[in-house]
Amino acid sequence: MFKQTGAISMMNLRSLPQRAGMSLATVLSIALVVAVLLGFLAMADGFQKTVDGTGSEDVAVILRGGSQAELNSVLSADQFRVLETAPGVATDARGDPLISGELYIAVDGIKRDLGTEANLPMRGVGEQAPHLRGQFDLVAGRMFQPGTNEIIVGEAVLRAFVGFELGETIRIGSNEWQVVGLFSTGGTVFESEVWADIGVVQNLYQRGSALQSIRVRLTSADAISDLEAFAEADPRLNELDILNEREFFAGQSRTLNTIIRLVGWPLSIVMAIGAFAGAWNTMYSSVDARMREIATLRAIGFSGGAAAMGTLIEALILSALGGLLGAAAVYLLFNGASASTLGSGFTQVVFSFSVTGGSVMAGMIMAIIIGFLGGLVPAIRSASVPLLTVHRSD
Amino acid sequence: MDTLYELTDLSKRYARGKETITIFEELTMTIPQGDFIAIMGPSGSGKTTLLNMLGGIDRPSSGSVVCEGVRVDRLSEGKLAQWRSQHVGFIFQFYNLMPTLTAAQNVELPLLLTKLSGKQRKERVATALDIVGLADRKGHRPRQLSGGQQQRVAIARAIVADPKVLLCDEPTGDLDRVSADEILETLQLLNKELGKTIVMVTHDPSAAKYAQRELHLDKGRFIEQVQESV
Amino acid sequence: MNDLTLIRKNLFRKKLRAILLTLSILIAFLIFGVLGSFNRVLNAGVELAAADRLITMNNTGFTQSLPYAYWGRVQGVEGVRNASHMSWFGGYYQEPTQVVQAFAVDPETFLAAYPEFLIPDDQRQAFIDQRNCLLIGETLARQYDWSVGDRVPLLSNIWQKTDGTSSWDFEVCAIYAPSMEEMSTAAAYMQYDYYNEALSFNQDRVGMIVLNTVDPAVNDRVANEIDAMFENSPAQTDTSTEAAFSQAFINQIGNIGLILIYVVGAAFGIILLIVGTSLILAISERTKEIAVMKTLGFPAPRIFRMVLIESVMLSLVGGLAGIGLAALLLKGLATALAGTLPGLAVTGGIFGIALAMMIGFGIITGIAPALNAHRVRIVEALGKQ
Repeated sequence: MFKQTGAISMMNLRSLPQRAGMSLATVLSIALVVAVLLGFLAMADGFQKTVDGTGSEDVAVILRGGSQAELNSVLSADQFRVLETAPGVATDARGDPLISGELYIAVDGIKRDLGTEANLPMRGVGEQAPHLRGQFDLVAGRMFQPGTNEIIVGEAVLRAFVGFELGETIRIGSNEWQVVGLFSTGGTVFESEVWADIGVVQNLYQRGSALQSIRVRLTSADAISDLEAFAEADPRLNELDILNEREFFAGQSRTLNTIIRLVGWPLSIVMAIGAFAGAWNTMYSSVDARMREIATLRAIGFSGGAAAMGTLIEALILSALGGLLGAAAVYLLFNGASASTLGSGFTQVVFSFSVTGGSVMAGMIMAIIIGFLGGLVPAIRSASVPLLTVHRSD
Repeated sequence: MDTLYELTDLSKRYARGKETITIFEELTMTIPQGDFIAIMGPSGSGKTTLLNMLGGIDRPSSGSVVCEGVRVDRLSEGKLAQWRSQHVGFIFQFYNLMPTLTAAQNVELPLLLTKLSGKQRKERVATALDIVGLADRKGHRPRQLSGGQQQRVAIARAIVADPKVLLCDEPTGDLDRVSADEILETLQLLNKELGKTIVMVTHDPSAAKYAQRELHLDKGRFIEQVQESV
Repeated sequence: MNDLTLIRKNLFRKKLRAILLTLSILIAFLIFGVLGSFNRVLNAGVELAAADRLITMNNTGFTQSLPYAYWGRVQGVEGVRNASHMSWFGGYYQEPTQVVQAFAVDPETFLAAYPEFLIPDDQRQAFIDQRNCLLIGETLARQYDWSVGDRVPLLSNIWQKTDGTSSWDFEVCAIYAPSMEEMSTAAAYMQYDYYNEALSFNQDRVGMIVLNTVDPAVNDRVANEIDAMFENSPAQTDTSTEAAFSQAFINQIGNIGLILIYVVGAAFGIILLIVGTSLILAISERTKEIAVMKTLGFPAPRIFRMVLIESVMLSLVGGLAGIGLAALLLKGLATALAGTLPGLAVTGGIFGIALAMMIGFGIITGIAPALNAHRVRIVEALGKQ
């Protein structure tokens, strides 16, 4: 049986060029289905990677109770001072606490792709801010001077927005800023931000000494409970939300991620039905074209099962080719491509499409299912070709 | 008898690769109105090619085909199609009926090229099917009919538009003796009663007996054998 | 019998093939119908935008507010017929996840700026007169089962009151209906004064100013004049038409248009491949029949036309079924999504485009087989046994 199947499959495949048009159409249509699925998954995965990778386990984000997002939160300078001496807060070599009071403003920038205005976050940060982001690296230029209109720009901002090149002066609202540095944070959300001195931002946007969020580095991930206990006991702090930074960001990617997947999957499944119809049609024609050949094989003793397997294997090979082609196309065209969307907090998050092994696997499985279902009925049909066909003259 | 066809110096050559194959050369003949000719000859002698030229579906390499004063070989494709629909009926060895259409619809097909009304078409179809004796099978599809019946439907299709000439290419080549005789009798009837001119290509000497005369085509030349009809 | 009978019989001669091709065409048009409708609704803000409405906001970005005094000053600009203002409340009901899109507005000028809100006269008056009045849309009313007279506390995730809480108490006293299908009725509106006087910070600021001009023709001049007026103030302004404002907001989400083009393009690419090759095959299987038709005297152009009509018919059968299915599907979704994406439906416009695409698609897939049929040479084709 196995030998027979092999022989018939080889014969089928060798005769493929005679049915080149329809076979190619099947391969390409399955490739398109897989490409659409992988496109959406790469978008979802890329966004998730950026946002989820952003938080650190040992950084705590402190917000006003119930505010959910930094944009809605208001904290006072008093609260900041109390937290500086809180237990669980790590210190640097000089013994200064690793804490940064931050405030961000959604400002307008011009996007490169559409040429339209979109919000980007300008974050006022304290001196210690770089030490609170895991992989902070000043790629070019230098840090801003506190008290000046100098900014450092995330790499993703440079990719997605116009006018943030090193050394440029950029006008935002009624203020002018000098770009003095370019930083990376290893592909996290912070790369979509522009950083300036907190004091300058508070001053220019009339925020007094108010902050939105406070970030602290913890001595260890578990130390967050010490911090919580401390805040609970202090009447100035007991209204605050103290969040593990990783969880804080993980929550933010969930909605968009769900939406992308909720659109991507049904869409590709519906398209897969279209491709399935095509595969079926192609395999049917393939069996049609080989009627006499199959009957001859059956007449000289090949089994019906072998004929069916031969047809099914042809379908599976075509669909696997389609799947690989679609995956390769998406990988080459989109993997690493930059995109941006509105994140939580009304500002753009720049991310890169990411084609993962898992989604390629999902795409291949989908391709194989299309091939299997499309080849099934024609395979059964080829097993039941009447032997008489061999004698028919027309 | 009036002359229907005049073939003058008719030649047909094919290029096959570098070779030129001559089917026949400088063939001259006339076919009078009301004739029933059986053309016989070995394979490749050009019988079918000659028939195709009479029917205006193939053109000679040189020479002329004149039918009732019309240079058929000089008509444009469009004019030729129109001429065929009005002047000739074709009957093939393998019937060539449309598998998706019923017997009546197959017969009606040529009438789509006329300006007849639906009602007139229906009457014509009924008459044609009556002549071939298949009035009771008009709703059947070709698949549901025997070979002989299918060929009779084909004959009905050939005569429904009332052409002067019927061109038959091995009309009994795929049939058993009994069915073949029925078909040949029908053709004879059409020739005698309705005055149709019939040109029939055949391999079968006993089929040729039904014709008024036999022509033997060999190496591009005719050897005529006039005979009494059966 | 006529040509159409022949075409129809040919189309469905291989039932399974016809069904499979129809199915794949159906799917492409289903996708087009659904995505096209979503795209239209997403862009409804741009379409619904009144030509005479302008939005003035803070130059820095739309999350920044403007001084209350600006409202008064823009009213003096020549060509401004009506000026109102809106402030984002950041509202939710009971739980932070139950978001209520709420705005604080100046009732009288707000109602004048948005005549598309349909409100009974007595309720309209109540919204103007009653300090704690909440004007809500039909969708919102349905969502929480609120009706006129209900007392509803709304919380803000941004603002705090001087008493330390973030909860404002309202009485629902007006409900608005949409005058256009695509209009959202999921929002709530409150009196600015009632909201502003309790604020612990950011008092006397407005989110944005909405203007109506006397004539769309003066829009540019009015916008320039307003922006120039605040050129040297701490809060500079950016004034644009409502349409441009809406467009910019959609673009923030991403290049949705491009994604839709990719997806719909892929869907049509698939059926183009499948249907195109299948029809070529179908016609080549019929070569002999076509030769017979030609022998009978059917002219080549007529056969060309018949094949083309056949492919257009196939496309129409699949396409109309697909659009029909899309319409049914959206009908189901429309009720579920009335809050976020109101007016989800296959409109005449989308149907028109789809119909044109069906015919175009039929012609594209039919042209090669039709040419093949046109070219069939009788003698050769009949020679093939």
